Amino acid sequence: MARIGVFVCHCGENIGRTVDCARVAEALREHPGVAHSVDYKYMCSDPGQALIKQAIVEKRLDGVVVAACSPHMHEKTFRRACAGAGLNPFLCEMANVREHCSWIHEDRARATDKAIDLARTIVEKVKHNRPLQTIRIPVTRRALVIGGGIAGIQAALDIADGGAEVVLVEKEPSIGGHMSQLSETFPTLDCSQCILTPRMVEVYQHPRIKLLAFSEVDEVSGYIGNFTVKIRQKARAVDTSKCNGCGACTTACIQRKIPSEFDERLGMRSAIYVPFPQAVPNTPVIDRANCAYFKAKAKGATKAACGKCAQACSREAIDFDQQDSFLTERVGAIVVATGFQLYQIGADQPQGLTGYGEYGYGTVPDVIDGLQFERLASASGPTGGKILRPSDGKEPKRIVFLQCVGSRDPAKGMAYCSKICCMYVAKHTMLYRHKVHDGQATVFYMDIRAAGKGYDEFTRRAIEEDGARYVRGRVARLYRDGDVIKVHGFDTLSGEPLVLDADMVVLATAMRPQPGIEALAQKLSVSYDQHGFINEAHPKLRPVETNTAGVFVAGACQAPRDIPDSVAMASAAAAKILGLFSQAELEREPIVARVDASLCAGCFHCERVCPYGAVERKEIRDRKGTLLKVVAEVNPGVCQGCGTCQATCPSKSVELDGFTDQQIWAEINALAL
Amino acid sequence: MKELQVLARKLLAEGSVGVVIGYEEGPHGVRPAFITRSEDAGRLVFDPRCVHNLATYLSPRRSVVKGLGKPAVVVKGCDARAVAGLLRESQLTRDDVVLIAVRCGGVMQHPAQHVDLRAETVADRCAGCDVREPHLFDFMVGEAPTAPPATDRREARIRELEAGSPADRWAFWQQELARCVRCHACRQACPMCFCERCVADKTQPGWIESSPHPRGNLAFHLTRAIHQAGRCVDCGECERACPAGIPLGLLNRKLALVVAERFGHHASDDPSVPAPIGSYASNDGQEFIL
Amino acid sequence: MATAAESLTTFEPRITAFVCNWCTYTGADLAGTSRLQMAPNVRIVRLPCTGRIDPLFVIKAFERGADGVIVSGCHPADCHYTAGNYHARRRFAVFRELLDFMGIDTRRVTFSWVSASEGGKWRDVVNETVARVQELGPFEAYHQLAGRQA
Repeated sequence: MARIGVFVCHCGENIGRTVDCARVAEALREHPGVAHSVDYKYMCSDPGQALIKQAIVEKRLDGVVVAACSPHMHEKTFRRACAGAGLNPFLCEMANVREHCSWIHEDRARATDKAIDLARTIVEKVKHNRPLQTIRIPVTRRALVIGGGIAGIQAALDIADGGAEVVLVEKEPSIGGHMSQLSETFPTLDCSQCILTPRMVEVYQHPRIKLLAFSEVDEVSGYIGNFTVKIRQKARAVDTSKCNGCGACTTACIQRKIPSEFDERLGMRSAIYVPFPQAVPNTPVIDRANCAYFKAKAKGATKAACGKCAQACSREAIDFDQQDSFLTERVGAIVVATGFQLYQIGADQPQGLTGYGEYGYGTVPDVIDGLQFERLASASGPTGGKILRPSDGKEPKRIVFLQCVGSRDPAKGMAYCSKICCMYVAKHTMLYRHKVHDGQATVFYMDIRAAGKGYDEFTRRAIEEDGARYVRGRVARLYRDGDVIKVHGFDTLSGEPLVLDADMVVLATAMRPQPGIEALAQKLSVSYDQHGFINEAHPKLRPVETNTAGVFVAGACQAPRDIPDSVAMASAAAAKILGLFSQAELEREPIVARVDASLCAGCFHCERVCPYGAVERKEIRDRKGTLLKVVAEVNPGVCQGCGTCQATCPSKSVELDGFTDQQIWAEINALAL
Repeated sequence: MKELQVLARKLLAEGSVGVVIGYEEGPHGVRPAFITRSEDAGRLVFDPRCVHNLATYLSPRRSVVKGLGKPAVVVKGCDARAVAGLLRESQLTRDDVVLIAVRCGGVMQHPAQHVDLRAETVADRCAGCDVREPHLFDFMVGEAPTAPPATDRREARIRELEAGSPADRWAFWQQELARCVRCHACRQACPMCFCERCVADKTQPGWIESSPHPRGNLAFHLTRAIHQAGRCVDCGECERACPAGIPLGLLNRKLALVVAERFGHHASDDPSVPAPIGSYASNDGQEFIL
Repeated sequence: MATAAESLTTFEPRITAFVCNWCTYTGADLAGTSRLQMAPNVRIVRLPCTGRIDPLFVIKAFERGADGVIVSGCHPADCHYTAGNYHARRRFAVFRELLDFMGIDTRRVTFSWVSASEGGKWRDVVNETVARVQELGPFEAYHQLAGRQA
């Protein structure tokens, strides 16, 4: 006969006010299989837990039910208490009589009846609980960081400095991300590259970081502590072991008019190129779509075309025949830090959106976006740091900035706020004033969101010291009229429409995750929202974890975010990973499925439905080695405990520990008592 | 049929199979035959009385049949769907069986002593058959037969029941299921019911009680129907086997219509076509979900 | 339909709810934390995922005296285990039609997606289900079948 202990918590007034806890304890005392039933003010307190431990020993309890708050609050607390008294922690369960009862019903009699029902139900379940042992799995002390922007760089450095190895994969030819394109950063106006490049070099030189630039993640399998990742190293057509970064090839290249991605198409580059002078690694890559040699080859030419770079190279580092190569890495944890892209109006619209054509991006000359302005302002940019109009190279005397282009707009754009635009627009007005002393910046805004440290002071500085004119309102449309851009807007504070003449317009476009994020997320089995941003495990309390154990997230790929927050997240993810790696073995909750091989018919419906591929095939042979049957077997390290296999199995030959058929049947049955 | 007998004789004589499972004339009409010697191949017949789904003998659980050696099985299109199902669900590997497909123009709803295939006598389930020439086979025998037009009277009956109220449908099924004695002949006859231990026989816990009581009967048939959804090949054996004349075909046909309408799934003799339950699409209908 | 006088002894339906731990159970917790008041007729059975919810549970709940059943989990794409709710969606789409065909009034079974942040929605699902089943009355047909006293 079971000997279950029932502990009914008053939780001060929280439960006691609407549930008659003494009566619940009394009712449970009469219930078959209950050997001990009491009520107490605060079960989670030290004396409360002591009551449980004492009862386990004195009454020789073989199960504990705590009727109190939600198991999400204190299941771990009470399980630990039981373990401390020598009772297997998985023989302890909670009945939720607070969130699901006392807090949502006023009628004391009915709330008490319900609390009794709920407690009895869990008692009946616990009668079928079996002691379970925590699963221990080995852990590979290496981390994979996907994305080499500031978040990825920070995470990689923190993990490597913590003593673990890191593989850093970056799809562009150089690490650095968008931060390397910025001119200065808010709120300090630090030169972006000056603070970034030392970190980039540190990554490159770090003995525990394996940097794989111009590479992508192809396949991921495995589970926390034990991932296997296949990485594609794309072919640069340059042998990195021979190249010394002298740059002779780029000088020799005959193609010089390819719009540079780094300069946001405001400058040109060659076909063989290094994206920017401080690139890490400082190895060029050939853009095969635009290289004369490769274009000719693609057309089927028999004679090799051009090849000037190979001729110029004194180290024979150019290798036109180089192919993509593949590497398999074993890692214990993964950080997704793929960053963001800006909403490109007119090109590749997300989810069928076609908004903002009225802002003329791509059609009206001198309408640019924030990253393009950064390249104009940047000393290493296409204009050497001078603010000049892309159309005619003249210095604009009047620049109009539009905030919230694509953000905060559920009708035509994305509903969310992109967080950084208010700050960088203020920064842009300041950079503009510093470079063009007689320039006038006008900003059309809805709100000014400057919530960080020194942020509000920064925006005030733009207005009060650097003469930026802020107009609260939106722009209806803009168009070219001769040499100027006519901007039709509205000032909601004065209530008047206004038309401005601008020499240049800068759009603060929405931040979105990188293209291809969905495919990567699916490879990692992490979920993402309707915009593609990676989902964190809990928005308040678990911001850098995902719901897939072992996969972490940092930076703007999770939500629009500035540099300090991205760095903080990256360090947080690194801390979590180092914590993971600090254990000799990983402990996993043993809520996993187990197949009864004697009953399994080997139909493998379970294998098909398992979201984690945790079901393997096992051969059952007799002593002579004759194959009797092939059955399913669950890998307890991979199984995450969803139980879909069991509901799908026609014969219920697979059971989920912790939620077995016996347990659920007992709960359903109890409701009829 | 001569072609079949010659083939069977050859396969047995050369030793490539240990048994040819087909049909033969019995004292009460056609019955399954297990021919293990080539000289007995002459017993094999095929005509519209051959309703039995011989794929049911391929289940690994049928150890006596397994003991006869590698089988060659005579299959109609519907039977080939069952073989595809067994392949799909790892009960068989393709090399384990030789499939002798027959071109079929329909079978009789009520097989009798003599062949008499007409529009009035052809089985409901033969209506709209798209596997008169099965796609899964090693050998194909028989002439392309003339197929009398068949109507699936079950669909009309299903629509009739759907047009009534839930209470009417409840009354109908309670009346039908009242005759169920839980003999499980339906389960035994079905090639897709191959579980080692059927959930209906599980006692710890006892989801479905075994006695022929209305509550257990309802639970059993609900469960069997849902387990067959998308897997049933509509061979009609369950209904034919039922000694109490329960219209099981209505249940299976109804769910076949549901999975066809919702998921575009039709029973197939192609083993690579996945079953609908156990798969999902991101745009599966959820109009019934709040 | 109950008159005002009859409603003094209104039938109180017994509803069993099978919910997933990560979304609906947590959403119900949130409803509690937010003190959203709702009908006390529902008893929640916690499962890790809607993927674990077996049609057998629904059958057994009715057998054991439930007048109505709720099955609730995470919205598509939000499943903690990535795909459990997709399988549940298909399974229950078919099972619901089967129940209907066998004469079980599907107004007695509520399916819902309630996320961890939708405390209000859980309250609405509970109240709506209770009201709906109250209107339908006790599930006498099934209870008689199961040999239960009314």
